[in-house]
Amino acid sequence: MEQSNPIMLLKSVAKTFPNGTIALRGVDLDVAQGKVHGLLGANGAGKSTLIKILSGSIKATGGTIIWRGQEVSWNTPKEANDIGIATVHQHIPLVPTLSVLENVFLGKDELWRKSKSIYAKYDALCEQVNYRIEPNVLVSELSIGARQMLAIIQALATGADLIVLDEPTASLAAEERELVYSVVRRLSKVENKAILFVSHFLDEVLSLTDQVTILRDGQAVLRAETSQLDEDTLAEAIVGKAIAKLEHEAEERESFVRGDDEPRLSIRNLRSEGKFASVDLEVAKGEVIGIAGLLGSGRSEFLHAIYGADPQAKGEVLLDGKLVPRSPGGSVEAGMGLVPEDRLEQGLVPDFEIWRNLTLPILDRVSAGGFFPIAKREFGLAVEAIKKLGIKADSPEILVSELSGGNAQKVTIARWLFTDVKVFLLDEPTAGIDIGAKTDILRLVRELAAEGRTVIIVSSEFEELLAVSDRILAMRDGTIVAERNVHETSEHDLLLLCSGEAAATSNEAYENA
Amino acid sequence: MVAKNMTQNNETPKLAQTAAINWRKTFGLREMGVYYALVMLIAVLAVATTYLGKSNYLSVMNLSNVVYQSSLIAIMAVAMTVVLISGNFDLSVASVAALSAVMLIGNADTIGYWPAVGLALAVGMSMGLLNGVIVQYVGINAFIVTLGTMTAVRGLVLIYTDGRSLSVRDPNVIETMRAFEGGKHDIYWLAIALGAVLALWGIYQLISARSKGQPLRPGYIGKLLSGLAMIFIAYASGGELILRNPVLFMGLFTAVVWSVLTYTNVGRRLYAVGGNPEAARLSGINVTRYKLMSFVLCSGAAAFAGVLFASRLRSINPAGLQGAELTVIAAAILGGTSLFGGAGSVIKTLAGALLLYSLTNGFNILNLGANYQGLIEGIVVVTAAAIYTVGGGVSRKS
Repeated sequence: MEQSNPIMLLKSVAKTFPNGTIALRGVDLDVAQGKVHGLLGANGAGKSTLIKILSGSIKATGGTIIWRGQEVSWNTPKEANDIGIATVHQHIPLVPTLSVLENVFLGKDELWRKSKSIYAKYDALCEQVNYRIEPNVLVSELSIGARQMLAIIQALATGADLIVLDEPTASLAAEERELVYSVVRRLSKVENKAILFVSHFLDEVLSLTDQVTILRDGQAVLRAETSQLDEDTLAEAIVGKAIAKLEHEAEERESFVRGDDEPRLSIRNLRSEGKFASVDLEVAKGEVIGIAGLLGSGRSEFLHAIYGADPQAKGEVLLDGKLVPRSPGGSVEAGMGLVPEDRLEQGLVPDFEIWRNLTLPILDRVSAGGFFPIAKREFGLAVEAIKKLGIKADSPEILVSELSGGNAQKVTIARWLFTDVKVFLLDEPTAGIDIGAKTDILRLVRELAAEGRTVIIVSSEFEELLAVSDRILAMRDGTIVAERNVHETSEHDLLLLCSGEAAATSNEAYENA
Repeated sequence: MVAKNMTQNNETPKLAQTAAINWRKTFGLREMGVYYALVMLIAVLAVATTYLGKSNYLSVMNLSNVVYQSSLIAIMAVAMTVVLISGNFDLSVASVAALSAVMLIGNADTIGYWPAVGLALAVGMSMGLLNGVIVQYVGINAFIVTLGTMTAVRGLVLIYTDGRSLSVRDPNVIETMRAFEGGKHDIYWLAIALGAVLALWGIYQLISARSKGQPLRPGYIGKLLSGLAMIFIAYASGGELILRNPVLFMGLFTAVVWSVLTYTNVGRRLYAVGGNPEAARLSGINVTRYKLMSFVLCSGAAAFAGVLFASRLRSINPAGLQGAELTVIAAAILGGTSLFGGAGSVIKTLAGALLLYSLTNGFNILNLGANYQGLIEGIVVVTAAAIYTVGGGVSRKS
């Protein structure tokens, strides 16, 4: 019944940017109270634009928005809030130097920063989500998971009836995700809120949502009840074609046979106080090592230490038997390339175009006399990269800050492809990007290995590790707890190793849910 | 193969579209505002002086005076731009320049002019190194560190001079100073030749781009216009165009810094370091070294400006150049340099410095009195910043 009377109804909402880019071609969307509505789509499909329209940061150029039966429009986030729509953005905009309480009531015009009534209000909000954060703690001291919960509480505090959650679980570990799921369920079923849940994870969309809308190329291509869908249908609708199953390929792949050659990469007694304990590792040419670990397991720190980017790390790294100097510059020189976890913060220079970002680590090679970069050469490389990796960009002149997540990630990977990089260090290369781009990147990893390059890949998506790796190391609390040949392990096994019993059972609970 | 890719890309209609937008951006307020402002100010002053019957503002004599007056500040502002691009900030330039000037004046009589210049530059650069080491290795914010060194170095100046003015007595030293600072060159023919070369080059590029059907680039028009401007200035000078040494140094220094920033790896990496230090570090760039060297360059340039200042006056007052750091930073901001690093152009900084000094000069010629000067300068700086912020926002959204 509620479906027939949705709280918000979008009718052919369109957005054309002043520069002529068409982001939305006319999207219909309906969200009902007490329901969780999933919104899916590949990178560049128009999800971000739609969310920006809903949150009031940009204005639609066509179509109508009907809220509780009346046509409405808004120009600012504040106006959207007043109508009853709150958006929890992917990159959570909290003020780290203020307390939890102050963040929650940031937009409210209260005279006093702390009054009794405000504590009571805060408690009521915590009651609603059934999760409590100490109100006087500074936000900078909270974990990412707690910040995500805080952002949801903040959205609730506006009194919204529709809450838009933009990839709330993208950067969370398994247990933390579980928490978000339970809050989302509670808000929709108990508090009768309407939830628009944007995600890249098909399994969570299937288990959590009531209805699903899928965007592709700025249009809604699928609108269905979740109960009638399965992962394959979703994936097909998102990418527009049946995606090949990399995992099947992995099963058919021969076990990696290590030759008698000298190992490509030897890591000897590499350690970093307080981050991870001593590691010894030898990796052969053409071998892909997967590092399975949850957030905070020391997996990224380990990669950074190999790359020489951690000044506190001690130990030796040898590439083809030669000692690599302990600095990123030395590692690049020796033939290593790192694709960092956070592409915007650690990977790209936002004010640079695609081509200038692309050649940043390889400037010497595109320069005359190793000193004067030749723009034409760089431009050519960028055009090649755009074609090779299928980066969705009209021209290499586009700023990377204007690219969507998956395409930006492809740029950070592409910059290492034009040199004879021997060892690739990939830190969560598929985080927060759609299936299409994910498959492209995982395929690329196998191609690199086939060319005889060595890859060390970190991921919290264990199925991806199983799809591409030859060997998998499981990390927990800064220690490598196990080493497995890819054919001798499973997702369940890895999860057990990385998180211990507790998380494994929670995963089962989640699968049963 | 590269060329093939280029043409392929040019054929796609979408690329042409972005190029068209770039044109609008290139000549928008955000990119060219400081030039428009400079031209407008000069035009207003020219009309005002003619109307009021004062001496002609647009005389070559007066204009070259403005350039001469701005040269020291401009040299420091260009180096400041480098520090700002690297993502840091340096408040200590004026104090370092004063220290360098004091070192020169205080020692030239005993050890000779050139050794004293060497000493002054060395002392100045070591101040930059000190700034850089504290900022990069201890990790204190550059604003705070250089606020401290600004005060402390000024204190050193006072200690060294014991609060009194110093001056040189040795006639040989005075002669060398006069020759070094006051040296003049007649560049009439050079300006005409250079202007002709630039103009012809611009025309050639315009025609060849036209005939090959390639898109026009702003640089072609820039070359043509600046070439024509040089010829015009030479013509207006009536046969004798005098270039003084500080202006020559300013020009050379700006040209070198601009070339390095625009055409070399070092420049590209510097912009990357300021734009996103972590990304630059993980790309294998030695971020610390780049930031450190920017400080050293900045203090070195300040020391050189101090040498010129001391040589011009042949004496130094311990309060000399006080407050100049704000003019230096104002010039960089007028030129559109970002305070957050990663963006800036030394040519525009130069235009910013000229703009500030044109204002001062205009006030003098129009007899408006120095009282209004600070107010107007402040308004100009804030207006410029507002245009950059608002203009930048619009261009990003569109």
